[in-house]
Amino acid sequence: MVYLTLQKYQKFLASSRQVHKTAAHVVARSAPEETVTSSFASFIHAVRPEHLSKTVRHRSKRMILDSIGVGLVGSTTHVFHIALQYCQELYSSVAVSSVYGKPGVKLSPTLAAFANGVATHSMDFDDTWHPATHPSGAVLPALLAASQMLPPSTKPNGMDFLLAFNVGLEVQGRLMHFSTETHNIPKRFHPPSVVGTMGSAAATAKLLSLSMAQCTHALGIAASLAGAPMANAATQAKPLHIGNATRLGLEAALLAARGMEANPLILDDIPGCSGFSAFYGVYQPTPLSTPNDHHEFLLEKQDIAFKRFPAHLGMHWVVDAALSVRNLFINYAGSFSPSLIRTIVLKIPVSKYINRPFPSSEHQARHSFQFNACTALLDGEVGLSSFSERSIHRQELRELLDKVVVEHPEDNVANFDKMYGEVALLLHSGDVLTGKCDTFYGHWRKPLSKESLLKKFRSNASHVLPEEKIETIITMVDNLEKLSDSSQLASSL
Amino acid sequence: MWAKTITGNFADVIHGLNANHLTDQVIQRSKRMILDTLGVGLLGTSTEVCHKVTQYSKIYSSEISSTIWGHLDFRLPPLYAAFVNGVAVHSMDFDDTWHPATHPSGAVLPAVIALSEAFPQKKKISGLDLLLAFNVGIEVQGRLLRFSGEARNIPKRFHPPTVVGTMGSAAACAKLLALDRLKCKNSLAIAASYAGAPLANAATQTKPLHVGNAAKHGLEAACLASQGLQGNKQILDMESGIGAFYTDYNPQTLPTLQSYPWLLDQQDVAIKRFPAHLGTHWVADAASSVRRKLMESSGNLLPLDKIEKVILKVPEVKYVNRPSPTSEHEARHSFQFVACSALLDGSMSVQSFTSENIHRPALRELLCKTQLEHPADNAPSFESLYCEVSVTLQDGNAISDRCDTFYGHWRKPLKKEDLEEKFQSNASSVLPAEATEAIIETVYNLEKIENCSVLSMFLSGQSARVLSEKLHFL
Repeated sequence: MVYLTLQKYQKFLASSRQVHKTAAHVVARSAPEETVTSSFASFIHAVRPEHLSKTVRHRSKRMILDSIGVGLVGSTTHVFHIALQYCQELYSSVAVSSVYGKPGVKLSPTLAAFANGVATHSMDFDDTWHPATHPSGAVLPALLAASQMLPPSTKPNGMDFLLAFNVGLEVQGRLMHFSTETHNIPKRFHPPSVVGTMGSAAATAKLLSLSMAQCTHALGIAASLAGAPMANAATQAKPLHIGNATRLGLEAALLAARGMEANPLILDDIPGCSGFSAFYGVYQPTPLSTPNDHHEFLLEKQDIAFKRFPAHLGMHWVVDAALSVRNLFINYAGSFSPSLIRTIVLKIPVSKYINRPFPSSEHQARHSFQFNACTALLDGEVGLSSFSERSIHRQELRELLDKVVVEHPEDNVANFDKMYGEVALLLHSGDVLTGKCDTFYGHWRKPLSKESLLKKFRSNASHVLPEEKIETIITMVDNLEKLSDSSQLASSL
Repeated sequence: MWAKTITGNFADVIHGLNANHLTDQVIQRSKRMILDTLGVGLLGTSTEVCHKVTQYSKIYSSEISSTIWGHLDFRLPPLYAAFVNGVAVHSMDFDDTWHPATHPSGAVLPAVIALSEAFPQKKKISGLDLLLAFNVGIEVQGRLLRFSGEARNIPKRFHPPTVVGTMGSAAACAKLLALDRLKCKNSLAIAASYAGAPLANAATQTKPLHVGNAAKHGLEAACLASQGLQGNKQILDMESGIGAFYTDYNPQTLPTLQSYPWLLDQQDVAIKRFPAHLGTHWVADAASSVRRKLMESSGNLLPLDKIEKVILKVPEVKYVNRPSPTSEHEARHSFQFVACSALLDGSMSVQSFTSENIHRPALRELLCKTQLEHPADNAPSFESLYCEVSVTLQDGNAISDRCDTFYGHWRKPLKKEDLEEKFQSNASSVLPAEATEAIIETVYNLEKIENCSVLSMFLSGQSARVLSEKLHFL
């Protein structure tokens, strides 16, 4: 039923509605081509696989692989369990779309996207970009779900899939460039819930081959589904931000496919009546160039950071700094002896939601400079198990946390491109040992090697999948451009 | 037990309010709102936007299902019933408006009705349960709107139903689900992450989704909270919580439960007489009055050809300033369109917004002669705005009139007969007479209904005669 409805509407809506087009003309002072919104729609509609450079293809495939792995391990979390139960209980449904780590389970497409999005962000283990957002989790689940929704005769191939994925990333990146506020760690709206929803709508619109008008409306409808406040970061509800971004963006595209119309100037500056600008204090939109031979995707210039352990990106700097000073300390004292330490000084940027001296839940622990630094000092590494209930509440860790003081040097900006982490151990003896990290391993300036990325994927996926399946996914993503039916990727999860 | 945070305090109040707290006036006003909302929703099911969202929602089916107002032929999962019915309610901008500005009922009623049908058979939800939950949802919205000075004026950035409406729906559903305090709190916290849509989609086909989604997402938040999902316990306290949607945000604790002072007691809603933005209601009344004067002085004929200029003195509200609307959505958000329509026809109705009427030559001609002025003393607030319509004739004469309070505004509420007439006119477009009568009866006696599922049955159009034995009155 899903298939037929979609096909029918796609054909029906090939002819745009003249009335509303006229309306757009009335409202816009210039021809549609010149608005920011229409330039986005043009781009989404007209971009082709040929426009993807080798670098972009390579980087985005790495992202796809990492995202799947993170989603697979995320399917073992409590928050995922709640989301899945919710979806299953309410909807028996026209279930066609696969769920990470649950081979026997299918859900309707938007709900599968929701569940998989929640899984992806459930442990804060997913990728981070600059300006700051978690781009892949907002896009990939929607595409996986949508690929299984289309009838067999029109299944997108791997190249289509890869292109749609990159459209979703590109739109997110471009939107973030409309406001200088996005360069720093966010304070008001959680970026995935703002740009992620738009990226998902764009990517889905691309995969479904919507017309330019429909692409415009997909963006417009998505804007009305965007925006969640920061306060739910570091809580169990945070993963919903990605779950909803990917689900609601997909929904927006599906509604647009059915002819739903929204404001065709949603991305433009509309004085006195906010569109997408509602989410920013400062907003300066610029049009996207129509793709020609020389369209440069943002991913070309700006790579992604992959996380080595499941915590907020900021933690990765202090952890690497802590590991470095730990080594110094072991050389100094022969072993890691906490009793020799008087004070632990952390030099970190100012960011309220990741400054938590005594986190009490896993969600808070993943958003605590103090916790991650001390865990690294104590254990010599930070991994999945560092955030278990037992690990969070162990006595030795609490004792170390007691010794922590935090400083905010002026030159330490709350910005993923510029920040650093410094950990200093002030010993009772009077000696001071320091470790500093400017660029952690996994940051875009020091990307994970292929081996490290595969190691992370295998480790994550092995929580729920057997080895053969794991290797199949790796091979499939690596050869994505040659895949004839991209829904096989979703089915392999 | 005193809550240390405002969020905790809200949860305490949502949890602690019970039927005894409802005053007579609150009951009376909220029943009027419920009746109006149902009628408006029933009419709205016939709109194009509602058809589209219905088609979309049919992707989903489940064992538990809820009524789609006006339809016996299919049902949808509760979440999507809330969505579709919410869209229906706002599809024509015909639903109630409050002060500070929002459309309170559409975000709440579809959710609680859909939810009431989702309980297992043995658990009956009474009319009183429904009425209480409804009022909790309204109250929470009103309280949140008072946390920001921006909210007192007609909005510019976020469409209020998407901010406070989602929260109200979550609160109402949490109440109906009888969630404990902690889960009430988490309902609010989770709902905040769904809140907020930009105003730019007003005057487009997507606007009705704002109310549909508010209802649906609030319900979803309550369901997730019920399953144990947790969010930020200080979601109402923090600037990075609900405060994210405002530039000035000053939350306060709610009054104590002892003789709880409901906002609806102090501040009634406005009920619309025709399906368009509230601001246009002042314009319509002033224009109709000018028309009467014009006809009196020209032997009962409207001297259309002799009209030189039409000037409207209105507050500055960009998204209702449309000199030449071309779609129904734009026409409903156009001071100019409503003024000219009212001048031509004498009054506004559902029919004023049909395609033929929007595009008729006489109207387009009059629109060309229409201008807006924004006097400095005309504040963009539903509490204080006014409209002056002035028609200048070729001979130099000018006839004008001013409307400070239109009929239907909270200062001049609709009489019972007129409220019922609006409901009947709307509902009878999709339901048989017995069902519409039964709905009126049921709503008027809501607190005495033992099992509110009868309301859903009538909403789907089932004959009251068949069901008369199922009606329980004390």
